[in-house]
Amino acid sequence: MHPLIHLALSLPSWQDEQPFLVTGLALGGVYALSGVGMIVLFRTTGVLNLSFGAVGAFGALIAWQLINHSGMNQWLAYLVCVLFGGVITLAYGMVFGPALARRDPLVKTTATLGLTLILLGAMDLLWTSNGGASRSISLPTDNHGFMVGQIQVTTTDVIALAVGIVITVVTTAFLRYSKLGTAMRAMANDREITATLGVPVRRVEAAAWFGCGIVAGLSGILLADLVALDATTLTFLVISSLAAALIARLSSIWITFVAAIIIGVVDAAVTPITALTNYRDMTPFVLAAIALLFLNRKRTLSLARQEF
Amino acid sequence: MATAQLPGEAKPKTPPSAPPRIERGFYTRAAIIAVGVLLVIFLLPQVLSLYYVDAMTQVAIYAVVALGLGVLVGRVGLISLGQAAVLAIGAWVAARLLFGTSLPYEVVLLASGVITMLLGTLVGLPALRMRGLYLALITLMLAGAITVVLASLNFPNGGHGFSGYNGALLHIPPIRRPGIAQTDPAYFRYSVVVAVIMFLIVLIHVRTKPGRAWAAIRQSEPAALAAGINTTFYKLWAFALASFVTGVAGGVLAGAVRYLYSIDFQTQDSITLLAVVLMGGAYSIWGAIVAGLLLQLLPAILNDLGVNPDWLVILFGIGVLQVLTTAPTGIVDQMPKDIARLARFIGGLGRRSSPAKEPAQ
Repeated sequence: MHPLIHLALSLPSWQDEQPFLVTGLALGGVYALSGVGMIVLFRTTGVLNLSFGAVGAFGALIAWQLINHSGMNQWLAYLVCVLFGGVITLAYGMVFGPALARRDPLVKTTATLGLTLILLGAMDLLWTSNGGASRSISLPTDNHGFMVGQIQVTTTDVIALAVGIVITVVTTAFLRYSKLGTAMRAMANDREITATLGVPVRRVEAAAWFGCGIVAGLSGILLADLVALDATTLTFLVISSLAAALIARLSSIWITFVAAIIIGVVDAAVTPITALTNYRDMTPFVLAAIALLFLNRKRTLSLARQEF
Repeated sequence: MATAQLPGEAKPKTPPSAPPRIERGFYTRAAIIAVGVLLVIFLLPQVLSLYYVDAMTQVAIYAVVALGLGVLVGRVGLISLGQAAVLAIGAWVAARLLFGTSLPYEVVLLASGVITMLLGTLVGLPALRMRGLYLALITLMLAGAITVVLASLNFPNGGHGFSGYNGALLHIPPIRRPGIAQTDPAYFRYSVVVAVIMFLIVLIHVRTKPGRAWAAIRQSEPAALAAGINTTFYKLWAFALASFVTGVAGGVLAGAVRYLYSIDFQTQDSITLLAVVLMGGAYSIWGAIVAGLLLQLLPAILNDLGVNPDWLVILFGIGVLQVLTTAPTGIVDQMPKDIARLARFIGGLGRRSSPAKEPAQ
């Protein structure tokens, strides 16, 4: 049989698709959360934080360690994870931000791969894969939920989608109305001129780094619950959020949100299709490639400093 | 600052691509290098244990991969985060041909190089419309996508059909090696010879017209365009060359490990690869050899000493940060300077301890 005919015949019914739709919306929410976190940092400092996933994974593993081996209260452990994300990202930003401030965004972004490798190596050292016994984080909200028609929706799913929406709305308002947000927008336009106007650029950058780290920790916990608590998986899940941010041309928060939801939903919706299920993790790449090619079709070369 | 200028924007003190005239001492240098290569080929397998011979085979393979990435990063200023995935494609194609045909090994190497080149260029064509950061990110995603495809397609293991994979096979035959290089030391010599040929091909490119065009593009793409350089063509050429040498390296890799598993090719490898290329020195051809040593010999030594190789990943991470912040030209350029500085320092100590009084600075 021709593969395409086979594909059409094996399309799942709407009934089968519904549970995956819920998963997709939840994942899309977390991707949006990560994507917005990365874009705000990028606009403010010119750094696309590729260590975002690794920071979240490290935080989630610390939380797992605290809960399972130190008997810490769950919520306290999650708080530690989120704070860890903020502190490690802030520390990186404080040490390497100024050193690379005048360099090309490409160099700044490549440098974050250094932090990614350090964190990946440390995670493999500290949490060795002992005999295939997998670790997991299960939020208490997994056990609560409600039915929509025939589908079970857990509170975690709702929270995941909600944080995506909340961060998008709050960040938009924050950038629009608050003093710090205005400073960040100014820095996105021009760091030097902003500094001349008396804005404490270092402090604004620090706030952006810290905020990005907090968001990384939060995404780490949610993705560890929704997907898997595995260092490599969580580190490279950043690709999905990255795709959303790229589709938004690294600037629009709202397009990032929409793109993230679409990526999450398409990825999940493909799962019950037998012919494609093995390839569903290519979704972010395929969508981003199509979108970027489409958006880039009329670009021209220029000597202008600002490229994004 | 508009285009990808990594880390070329840092303006290395010596221009990376020298004018194409034959400098003084060219023949002496060539002779020294030839003697060095002969020593490596004939002496190393004699003095090293089989364990290290295998490790050095991997060094030869990964030096070529690093060379390909070095062309993109150091010469043209394009960052690719998907080179390990390109290597996997080369290894896959070679394994498929080695199982499916009885072609001589050299022909298979050439074919895997050419097929990988075509695939790499096909991908590069749309990707080249993006520049700088966008290109780096799209190649990172591509690496992730190729990992996904490989995990589902699997490497050929002597089965039939397009994939050449048969999961039910009880006895998996090893991937064959060339008739002249059946043993591990012989295969080591073989891979060094292939690596030398790849280095020569790249060297010729760098020293002639394409190399000059790449240097111009790296400095400023709009300026290169204004100077009449067909930037898209030359960027595509760089992509094709990098994919070709990486594809050939993949073919050598297939024969070296003899059993290929998709689990051995991870997205992370592409990042580690970029890290060692930057650490070794992306502007110098010799940097590729340093990168190969860092990536393959160092883990072998650590493994021999019983040290967890995960420390190496941390070291590479620190190395990337160090290179990007303080030494954009990498170990190859930095090491001689540091040694000279150390020698001056030691010399200075000697003078200071001597009774003769040093004049104040």
